[in-house]
Amino acid sequence: MRREYAANGKPVLRFASGLQIRVGNLWAGIGFMSAAILLAALSAGLGVTDAGILDLLNGFTGTDADDARAYALWTVRLPRIVMGFMAGCAVALAGAMLQSIARNPLADPGLFGLSQGSMTMIMLLFVLAPAAPKAMIALAAMAGGLGVAMLLIWLVGSERSSGLAILLMGIAIESVLSSVGSLLILYMPTETSLALSEWMAGSLFKANWSTIATFAPLMVLSIVGIFLTGRALSAYDLGNEMAMALGEPVGRSRPVILVFAVLLSTAAVTAVGPLTFLGVLAPHLAGFVSPAVSRARLFLSALMGGILVIAADALTRGLVGDVPLPIGLSLTIIGVPLFILALRLQALRKMQTH
Amino acid sequence: MTRRFVFLFSAPFLLALVLLISLSVGGGSFHLLDVVQAFIAFDAESYDQAVILHQRLPRALIAIYVGATMACGGAVLQGLVRNPLASPSTLGINAGACVFVVGGAFLFDLGTAALGLAALAGAFLGFLSCLVVARLSGRTHDPRGLALILSGALISMLFFSVTNAFLLSDPMRRNAFLGWVSGNINHVYIDRLYAFWWIGAVAIGLLAILARPLTLILLGTEKGASAGVNVTAVTRLALAATVLASGSAVAICGPIGFVGLVVPHIVRPFVGNNFTFSLPACALTGASVCLLADLFAREAFQPYVLHTGLVTDLLGGLVFVVIVKRFYLSPAARGRA
Repeated sequence: MRREYAANGKPVLRFASGLQIRVGNLWAGIGFMSAAILLAALSAGLGVTDAGILDLLNGFTGTDADDARAYALWTVRLPRIVMGFMAGCAVALAGAMLQSIARNPLADPGLFGLSQGSMTMIMLLFVLAPAAPKAMIALAAMAGGLGVAMLLIWLVGSERSSGLAILLMGIAIESVLSSVGSLLILYMPTETSLALSEWMAGSLFKANWSTIATFAPLMVLSIVGIFLTGRALSAYDLGNEMAMALGEPVGRSRPVILVFAVLLSTAAVTAVGPLTFLGVLAPHLAGFVSPAVSRARLFLSALMGGILVIAADALTRGLVGDVPLPIGLSLTIIGVPLFILALRLQALRKMQTH
Repeated sequence: MTRRFVFLFSAPFLLALVLLISLSVGGGSFHLLDVVQAFIAFDAESYDQAVILHQRLPRALIAIYVGATMACGGAVLQGLVRNPLASPSTLGINAGACVFVVGGAFLFDLGTAALGLAALAGAFLGFLSCLVVARLSGRTHDPRGLALILSGALISMLFFSVTNAFLLSDPMRRNAFLGWVSGNINHVYIDRLYAFWWIGAVAIGLLAILARPLTLILLGTEKGASAGVNVTAVTRLALAATVLASGSAVAICGPIGFVGLVVPHIVRPFVGNNFTFSLPACALTGASVCLLADLFAREAFQPYVLHTGLVTDLLGGLVFVVIVKRFYLSPAARGRA
């Protein structure tokens, strides 16, 4: 491992195998991880029961906390934090991938209606076959997300159209699907429909260790996915023709990446409901802190996504107090102003280049 | 020319027909004679006639009011903003009114009249913030007003989220507003129609007076000005009237989306762009469309009764997709842009 300088003069760490990491990105990654841990520790201390991260550390060293504290930490707060972090990572990754393959900096699984497609399919399944096994639910959600993606590709027609138009189309599809969803809710038994309407707003209340256990393999898979697709995505960032010229098998890798992105967003939707705006915010914020390409960009975006969810969750619990605000709702309230800011910055940059 | 007059003459008859159907079809379908009798010689003993007069008629009147105001608003907005996707629901007006009504009710316990005022203020705020955001995010190259529609969508998302947050904060009062926020035409809101109907009437009257100058502005601001129109004043007055009318409609029965978007597109091929003819056509057609949507919401999914806003969202969303496709994504549009 040697410390060298890249072609653009930035310091990099170069390994014997040929792998090189920008020092700036490495520091950013370490910073993001420590920020995530710090936020998680803070968030674990928020709530009615007076228990915090110190009790948790005491638990490891042997002195057991009393039952109420242990319950608050282990059964309520920790699953919530872990689940939020993982879902945030998944959505941010999906957003970053979509942004590269659609060549649209505003791509987001929520805004493009992919999450809504998954939700609609899950609800349809609940109505048509209430006794369906869990695997079927995952499949249906996947099919819904992919279906919306296909519909968008068909409606927008290749990648040549302007970025804002595809966004409008996505929003339109989302609004149609959400009214279909409200129709479907009518046909459900009352108790299911109450639980569903909470889930539709995106919430972490239902997080528990068994959901996390089913979600964990996907996290491992997504880390593998980052390594496999990272290089390809940096080629896509240069444009379709350029990617082909660089030897990227566009015809094969593009659908694979699309399916992978849909898989990630679907998993997050099934676990916690839609997290709109996260997929577009996290990569932009990560890029703002530390500009990166290919794998480093994906890693940093994922970490930023997790941080944002933990922070939004802690904020709503700390500020609003006893009102149970779903995480999807608070993300939208925080996300819209930030998104407008991102649009503004983009417009300014365009003005400078023109 | 003849097509225009055929459309204008048939529109009132269509509205009357839809109104009759809407009054006579329902849980127990009544004969048309019953409907007529309920108006001519009301029999206080008859249950059927009571249903018609106290449940279906209020519902139909609200639907007519909302449809007419929203459709006129949509036509004026589409003309002045020069964008086929403009309408009270896509430019944040409905969402702004909605968040102010719910916020006013939850934070300050406002009465009906004060809530109406809040809705009007909210409608203005929604429209203004949509314009501001569009200005902020606007590109130098944005000839087709994409940024405006996008910022309208963003503002609506933000305001509806805040509305939902308000609703969640008080489970007791949530039930009272849960139907209202998704756009619910219901006979219990008739007292609000009684309180606010004059706002819409004044606004539509004002728009009708301004029809000629508005049409001249459609030709282009310079041409309008050279024809002797005070462009700024007329534009501001017309926009204010539109926002007030839509705000009052939201105050009555919640945000009924997309009627304002769809109806002008139905009317335009027949009547053309001249506001003198298209405004009355829009008002009549909007009322019919809203009545039909309400009828559909009532009858299509028996035994459930839907909220009318849901039906118009479904219909309007599809139309929205088609307009985006035709206006922004067709090869011809790309060539022009």
